[in-house]
Amino acid sequence: MKLSKRESSILIEMIFAVLFSLIYMPFFYGERLSSLDMTHVSSKAIQITVFAIIYFSAAYVLLELSFKQKTIQDERDDMINSKSYKLGYVLYELSLFLFIGVLLTGSSFNKNGAILFFVLVLLLMVSFIKSLFQLYLYRTS
Amino acid sequence: MILMNTVREYRQKMSFTQEELAIEVGVSRQTIISIEKYRYKPSLELAMKIAQSLKIKIEVLFYFE
Repeated sequence: MKLSKRESSILIEMIFAVLFSLIYMPFFYGERLSSLDMTHVSSKAIQITVFAIIYFSAAYVLLELSFKQKTIQDERDDMINSKSYKLGYVLYELSLFLFIGVLLTGSSFNKNGAILFFVLVLLLMVSFIKSLFQLYLYRTS
Repeated sequence: MILMNTVREYRQKMSFTQEELAIEVGVSRQTIISIEKYRYKPSLELAMKIAQSLKIKIEVLFYFE
């Protein structure tokens, strides 16, 4: 399966979501029942930021080296982006309702570790589904 | 009614590659491929640009079946 430059860049985003889940989510899962102090979280946030910068820099340098030709942003890209971002927006809205619902009814959310974990899971899922849908549209439309 | 097109046929008649036609009308090669495979319906502006580049009337290039 030969991927275009744009499809590869979507794949890079999806791989980041998977790597983030594998590397950092166990930490947040482990801390879900505790009250996280901000110094602990901020050191993790710095780690994540550094990891993201290194990952995206390396991935996009490789992408530019593999696909030398300049990509043209045209109406098909705009159509695919608008469809996928619309889905992402709807999913974010649903997640927000779900989050508020769980927050109001669930007793397990009295720790901020649980809230952080739940929010991260929702964001990762929505981002991954949006990218997957975008990739699907690039392959089929 | 399905919107069909004869872009591939007239492109080949004009000895254009997909890449050349894409550059001519200012879109990516993937967009031309999608149009030729009837996967993507171009906007009126793009359809007219393609028709102009292939020197053919738009109603010959795009039609309902």
